[in-house]
Amino acid sequence: MLGLFLLRRPFGQQIALFFRAISSIFAKNRSLKTDSRNIIMQTYFTAVEIFPILIVVATLFGTITIIEVISMMGKMGFADFVGSMIVVVVIRELGPVLTAFLIAGRSGSSLTTYIGSMVINYEVDALATMGVNPIRFLVMPSLIGGCIAMFIMNIFFSASAICGGYILTKCAIFMSGMSGVMQSEMSSIQLTWTYLTDEILKALTLDDFLFIVVKPLVFGAIITTNACYQALNIPRDVRQVPKAVSRSVIKSFLYVVIADVIISIFYLVDYMNNLNQLI
Amino acid sequence: MFDEALRMEDIHLAYRDLVGAMFSKPRILGYFRGIEMDPQKELFSNVNLSVKRGETICIGGPSGQGKSALLRVIAGLTRPTRGNIYYFGEYIPPEKLTALEVAKRQVGMVFQNGALISNLRVRDNIALPLRYHKMGTAAEIEEKINMAMDLMRVRDEADLFPHMLSMGMQKRVAIARSWAMDPKLLLMDEPTAGLDNYNRRNLLPLIDNMRTLFKTTILIVTHDLMISKELGCNICFLHRKTLTEPKPFDYWLNSDSEISRELFRDLRNSG
Repeated sequence: MLGLFLLRRPFGQQIALFFRAISSIFAKNRSLKTDSRNIIMQTYFTAVEIFPILIVVATLFGTITIIEVISMMGKMGFADFVGSMIVVVVIRELGPVLTAFLIAGRSGSSLTTYIGSMVINYEVDALATMGVNPIRFLVMPSLIGGCIAMFIMNIFFSASAICGGYILTKCAIFMSGMSGVMQSEMSSIQLTWTYLTDEILKALTLDDFLFIVVKPLVFGAIITTNACYQALNIPRDVRQVPKAVSRSVIKSFLYVVIADVIISIFYLVDYMNNLNQLI
Repeated sequence: MFDEALRMEDIHLAYRDLVGAMFSKPRILGYFRGIEMDPQKELFSNVNLSVKRGETICIGGPSGQGKSALLRVIAGLTRPTRGNIYYFGEYIPPEKLTALEVAKRQVGMVFQNGALISNLRVRDNIALPLRYHKMGTAAEIEEKINMAMDLMRVRDEADLFPHMLSMGMQKRVAIARSWAMDPKLLLMDEPTAGLDNYNRRNLLPLIDNMRTLFKTTILIVTHDLMISKELGCNICFLHRKTLTEPKPFDYWLNSDSEISRELFRDLRNSG
């Protein structure tokens, strides 16, 4: 009865869709060649075409973080925590979330439009009457491709946030030194590449590496499942396509943040355990 | 029993169930819905039809009577509110009645708008189900595609995208795509709608060829009553929410029933 209650809700239906897509990988007439081609196409579509924007966003975002962290922390006397602060903000939290937002806004919405217009044109029905399972043919490649792309993009985001952020911060310090604005504050910052990387590497733990893998995969699965669900749920009405697209993006944001909170509880539990040991 | 392609018993369909099975929802959900018993809310009720193997039957009637919906029910895209459907003598219970399940029994469908996959070329469109089901080696599939394209005379357009084709072409490609799957029962939704007379005259012999060469059972939904005469097949009508007995064209032309008076008046007057 609980299962039925859940299945009547969109959330339960999305989970069901996710598991149907996963199980369809192992369907009887699988063909590695076609599937991998579809998946690679989807990965390319999701990852490569968003690349320039993602790099720019990541670099600017990394610059902001590094400037803020270094100037604030130095003032407050927590200079030792610069590395862990950058790790927490960039690598652990906002990197995956911002990447997820970018991919939801771009690939999630286009996926919804693509599948949604196929639904409107009876193409999904035609696939089904030919015995081609739409979940396997449409949802599964986007799900796996989305996860892979999300994973790669997250690594690129973190890397370019730190590297690009470092370079831009250097430029900013240099420029402000030239112009004489805030000279007293900025010139007191001794930012070198070895200092930054040492601090970050010191602060990285095994858990962080685990979550660099887990978080993007969870977010990617959420975004693509949600996008496909909203698209397949469109009744035969053209006006429903834009509505479904906006629902898809907004709900992706919501679910990503909720999932992020749930994953962050892990850190809280970890912290509590450490606290017990300390006491 | 063995020469029976399709039998429908007491099919009811409510307007509410018309949307059809959504692929986003698990199909078990439909099983727990209440059954609509109000006859006012039903699109058609008490539909019975039995089709023999190799037989061709037209389903006619004015628009809005649910002809296409009936075809969707047969293809498994819409689940009937009540009633039993037998494919080749095999009963499929309602909770298992999905398009994928029906397609396994070699039932093909040609949609009204063709419903070609718009980002694939004509050749890939025809090849898609064959490659998906791995029906033979690459060479065999290639041969099959070429045969289907020759049969429907779309060989010259093999490398075009569907949006470059005219409506008639798209329909012919859609028929070729269904034919390539070797269907035992082919459902056609308005094969001649939107075609000019020239294309229509080209299409009908193609359907006729398919029928005689490959012994395919064909079910045609149409408002074009002359198809029935030209193919020499029986025709039945969705009338007053139910399906009449299939009868030859001349029977309807000369009978004095209400359907004949409404639909055949023009044909009679023109002789």
